[in-house]
Amino acid sequence: MRNLPAALERGRPVTIDFEGQSIATFEGEPVAVALFATGTRVLGRSPKYHRPRGLFCLDGHCGSCLLRVDGRPNVRSCMVPAREGLRCERQNAFPDAELDLLQAADWLFPKGMDHHRLMTGSRLGNELFVKLVRQMGGSGTLPDRPPSETPVVRNESVDVCVVGAGPAGLAAATAVAEARPGMRVVLIDEQDHTGGSLLAEPGGVELASARAAAAVRAGVRLWSCATAIAFYPEDGQDSVVADGPPGLLAVVTAQGLVRLAARRFLYATGSYDQNLPFPDNDRPGIISARACGRLVFRWGIRPAPRVIVVGDGTADTAFLARLYAGLDERGIAVQTVTLDQAQSGVGARGAVIAVATRPAPASELLRQHGAELRLDVAKGGFAPPVGPTFESTVAGVFAVGDVTGFRGTEIAYSDGRLAGVALAATL
Amino acid sequence: MSKKIILCRCEDVTAEDVERAARTGFSDLEEIKRYTGFGTGPCQGKECLRGIAAAVARLTGKSESEIRPFTSRPPLVPTEIKFFAGTPRR
Ligand code: FES
Repeated sequence: MRNLPAALERGRPVTIDFEGQSIATFEGEPVAVALFATGTRVLGRSPKYHRPRGLFCLDGHCGSCLLRVDGRPNVRSCMVPAREGLRCERQNAFPDAELDLLQAADWLFPKGMDHHRLMTGSRLGNELFVKLVRQMGGSGTLPDRPPSETPVVRNESVDVCVVGAGPAGLAAATAVAEARPGMRVVLIDEQDHTGGSLLAEPGGVELASARAAAAVRAGVRLWSCATAIAFYPEDGQDSVVADGPPGLLAVVTAQGLVRLAARRFLYATGSYDQNLPFPDNDRPGIISARACGRLVFRWGIRPAPRVIVVGDGTADTAFLARLYAGLDERGIAVQTVTLDQAQSGVGARGAVIAVATRPAPASELLRQHGAELRLDVAKGGFAPPVGPTFESTVAGVFAVGDVTGFRGTEIAYSDGRLAGVALAATL
Repeated sequence: MSKKIILCRCEDVTAEDVERAARTGFSDLEEIKRYTGFGTGPCQGKECLRGIAAAVARLTGKSESEIRPFTSRPPLVPTEIKFFAGTPRR
């Protein structure tokens, strides 16, 4: 399956241990990708019905690829780069995830299990039932051992913090740094490579690399593999930031936790891939259209000879055109199916199904700041209203790109520049 | 596998569960989250909030402007507790 060129040169060959089985992969390739490429689709079982699950978003957002990695539970395997000797196992299954006997729960409750009404007739029955469900449910078991050391916690103050190094964030951070030389501008991103949604497009890795290099030349400090996990508006009274919004952004990095204060925050957090409602839409092998792009264009994996695309007509047509052209160029056939057609079942065993719909704004951090969000399903979900200056309803907190309602990679880039200029004018 | 339409994969919440919650009288995302468990798993609503918000609009006849998101709580992604262990006490 790894018979396509990857966007970057593959790392050195390494072997990882998957439930006692040796899997050949390359250093740096995410574990979820390595397993997919060597034919493992089932990465675990769902918490309640023990339905088989596999990767969906390949972007760290859907929580569908959790494995136990090196003795630590519930690790997103699409975010873990392979290295020699890494150990991983599937969770929540008995005796194993391929043949999970607990999936009886799925058959026993074809209409779903309403835990508010089930076994509520007798007190004893209910207590037993709750015990059983608690035993069967949940995710993972405790780590093998406590962490060997406590990660460092440090405080940092900057002038401008841009979250998300996709097209919007790269453009915005560069524009701020160019307009205000000498100011401390950091650009943080959870992935190991900049680019965000560009990484799902043919040529996206190269384009992102060039834009990231331009940002660094302009003076932007780039933090990759850094995850903004929360904004705490009530924290950080001790930190010294002149005119910024109150509070701290908590950022997890390989070195530890950073409590980041900034005079301005700009959220270019992009959007999350969404699934569509059709029967058994959670089966392994059903992945988002952008995950399909990431597999093929970034990692050089041929997911299947044929990809079936289920769409509701709201996906970005420019992205789909680039995806289809890229697949076609690599000899991968595309078959499209409407959401209506998918209601009567879709796909065959082994087929890869890509779900194409509008992604949803990644707007939680704005919510945590207290910014107003409005639901607009046509724009993808809950997005902050922003005016021509890209400022949210909270002073000093800006948003640009897909997080403000789906824009696509090109408009996100041009808007990113405008937002950077507008933000710089407030400093 | 029995046929199910899964709206929240983290907590196995089906389209039927959301319909049942709406029939029971819940019409607000915060309530429906507490009743069905959607949005409380590893993804914290990233993959399900929009779809369930759209379903609630359809089931309750509410307009989009009447539907508020549930409170977003830290952390946004599965995070080992060790990262918090070194933070200063207040
Ligand atoms: S979080 Fe790993 S596939 Fe979605």
